[in-house]
Amino acid sequence: MKKESPLLKVGFVAPTLLFLITFNLYPLLYNIVLSFTNKQLSQDEYEFIGGHNYQAIFDAASNPKFGQALRTTAEFVLFAVSLELVLGFCLALCMQAKFRGKPLVLTLLLMPMMLSPAVMGLFWNLILSAHNGILNQVLGGAGLPTPHWLTEPSLKLCAVLLVDVWMWTPYMMLIALAGLNAIPGYIYEAAEIDRASRFTVFRRITLPMCAPLLLLAVLFRATDALKQFDLVMALTGPNDTSTQTLSALLYQLTFANQKVGLGSAYACIVLVLVIALATVFTRYLDWLATKRQGA
Amino acid sequence: MKVLRTLVIALFLVVGCLPLIWLGITAFKHHPDTITSSAKFLPVPGAPIAGDGIAFSPTLEGFEHLAEPHPGVEFSFLDHLLNSIIIGVASTLASVALGTSCAYGFSRFRIPGAKDWLFFVLSTRFMPPLAVVAPVLIMYRALDLPNTHLGLIVLYTAFNLSLSVWLMKGFIDEIPRAYEESALVDGYSRASAFFRIILPHARTGMAVTAVFCLISAWNEFGFAMTLNNAGAVTVPVYFAGLQGNTNGVPWPQIAAGALIFVIPIVVFTVLVRDHLLRGVTFGTIKQ
Repeated sequence: MKKESPLLKVGFVAPTLLFLITFNLYPLLYNIVLSFTNKQLSQDEYEFIGGHNYQAIFDAASNPKFGQALRTTAEFVLFAVSLELVLGFCLALCMQAKFRGKPLVLTLLLMPMMLSPAVMGLFWNLILSAHNGILNQVLGGAGLPTPHWLTEPSLKLCAVLLVDVWMWTPYMMLIALAGLNAIPGYIYEAAEIDRASRFTVFRRITLPMCAPLLLLAVLFRATDALKQFDLVMALTGPNDTSTQTLSALLYQLTFANQKVGLGSAYACIVLVLVIALATVFTRYLDWLATKRQGA
Repeated sequence: MKVLRTLVIALFLVVGCLPLIWLGITAFKHHPDTITSSAKFLPVPGAPIAGDGIAFSPTLEGFEHLAEPHPGVEFSFLDHLLNSIIIGVASTLASVALGTSCAYGFSRFRIPGAKDWLFFVLSTRFMPPLAVVAPVLIMYRALDLPNTHLGLIVLYTAFNLSLSVWLMKGFIDEIPRAYEESALVDGYSRASAFFRIILPHARTGMAVTAVFCLISAWNEFGFAMTLNNAGAVTVPVYFAGLQGNTNGVPWPQIAAGALIFVIPIVVFTVLVRDHLLRGVTFGTIKQ
C-alpha cells in the first residue's frame, strides 16, 4: 500500500466546505457590514452610518413592529411546537401497536410534512374560506361555530398555526415512534411483574426513555418554526400585523421598503437568536451521540 | 383501548389526508363548483354546474389550460414546472456529488477539527433564508445571477449540502472499512477505491439523499421568491403570484397544477418510506 498524500483528504472535503463558506458564511459576514450602512435595494451607492440602524430598532416607541414580530414569532413557535409535540406523541402511542396495513397507514400519515408549504398553503385558503370552505362546512354540520379564519384578525395566527400543525404533527409522531420503539420490551415485562400501574409505567418508563428523542424533535421543529415564512405568505401575506413573523418583517423591509441596511440590522439580531438556538441544538446532538457510544 | 386507538388513528388519517384528497377532487371541478356553500365531493357525470347537493360533474377543464399563460403573463404553468425540474434535478445532482465526497472524507480520514466542521455544515441549515437573502442578492447582481436557473441551482446546492453531507456520512460510516482497505492493499488508488468499492455500496444512501435534496429544492420558496421573481420562476413562486386576484382565483386550475406538482413528491415519499426518519433528522436518528 502506497503512502497517501495528505492533500488527498483535503481534495475530498474542501470543495464542499469552500462552497458553504462562499454561499453561507460570506453572506452572513456581508450582512453584518450592511447593517451599518444605509444601503437601499435598488441603489448601488451607500454610506456607513454607524450604529444608527440598531438605534432605530431598539427605539421601541418609533418602531413597534420589531417587538410585535418578535412576539408573534415567539407565540407561533411556542404554540406550534407544543401542539405538534402533544398530538404527535399521542398519535405515536397509538401507532406503537402492531396492526394490519401499518406501513401504508404510516406513510399516509407522514405525507403532509413532505409537501410544499407554499403550494399547500395557497390551497388551504380555499379550505379555510369562511363561507365556501370545507372546514367551516364540516364545523357547521357538527353544530360548531364557523369563524372567519382568514379575515378575523385574532384568528389569522390560529389559521397559520392550524396549517403548520397539520403539516408537522407527523414529524413529531415519526420521531416519538422511534423513541417508543427503542424501549426494550423487558423493561415493560419487569414493570408488569412489579405490578406497576399503567400510569406509573407511562410516567416512569415510557416518558423518560422517550424524552431525549422528543427534545431532539422539539429543537429541530423550533429552529424550523422560527423561520416561518412560506405559510404566512400563502395565508395572509407578509404585511399583516397579526401574523407578521420575523421572516415576514425582514421580507417587507428589504423588498417592499427597499431598506437593505435596516433589514440587515434586523437580520443580525435574528441571526444571533438562531445561532444561539443552533448552538444549543448541536451541543445537544453531540452529547446524545457521546452518550449512545458510551452505552 | 383498541377501539380508542383505532379511532385516534382514523381521525388523524382523515384530517391528514383530507386536504390532499380535496385538492384531487377540486382539480376535476368546474370553477363554480369549487366555491359553493355546500361541499361537492361526489363526481356524477352530467350533474348540473353550481347546482344544489353534493354532486358535481367532473371535467378536465382545469388541466386543459395549464399549457396556456394567464392573460397578461408570459409563461404558463408548464414553463414554471420545467424551471422547477431543471433547478431541482441539477442542484440535487450537485449536492449529492459534493456531499458524498465530503462525507467520505470525514468518514475515513482524520481531519483536524472534524467535529467543528461537521457542525458548521449542519448549522448552515438553520439560517432563515430571509435573513441572508439581501447580501446574496447583492452578490448575485454583481455576477448576473438573479432570475437565472444557475443562480438557484447554486444556492439550493449550498442549502442542501448540510443534508447531503450528514445523511451520506451516516450511510458511508456503515460500509466496513475493510472493503476499501483490502482494495488499497491490492494496489487500487484511493480514488479508484472510492469510485469502484464505496460508491456501489453507497447506492441506496445516495438515492435516498437525492430524494430528500430534490424534495427540499422542489418545495423551497423563500430564496426562489426573492431571487427569481422575473425569470426562471419556479412553481411555488408562480402559485404565490396567483393568489392576488381574489375575485376569480382559478381554483380548478390551481388545484390541477398543484396536483401535478405534489404527485412526484407523493411517489418519492412512498419510495423512501423506510428512510423517512433518517432523512428528516439528517441521519442523526437511525431505526
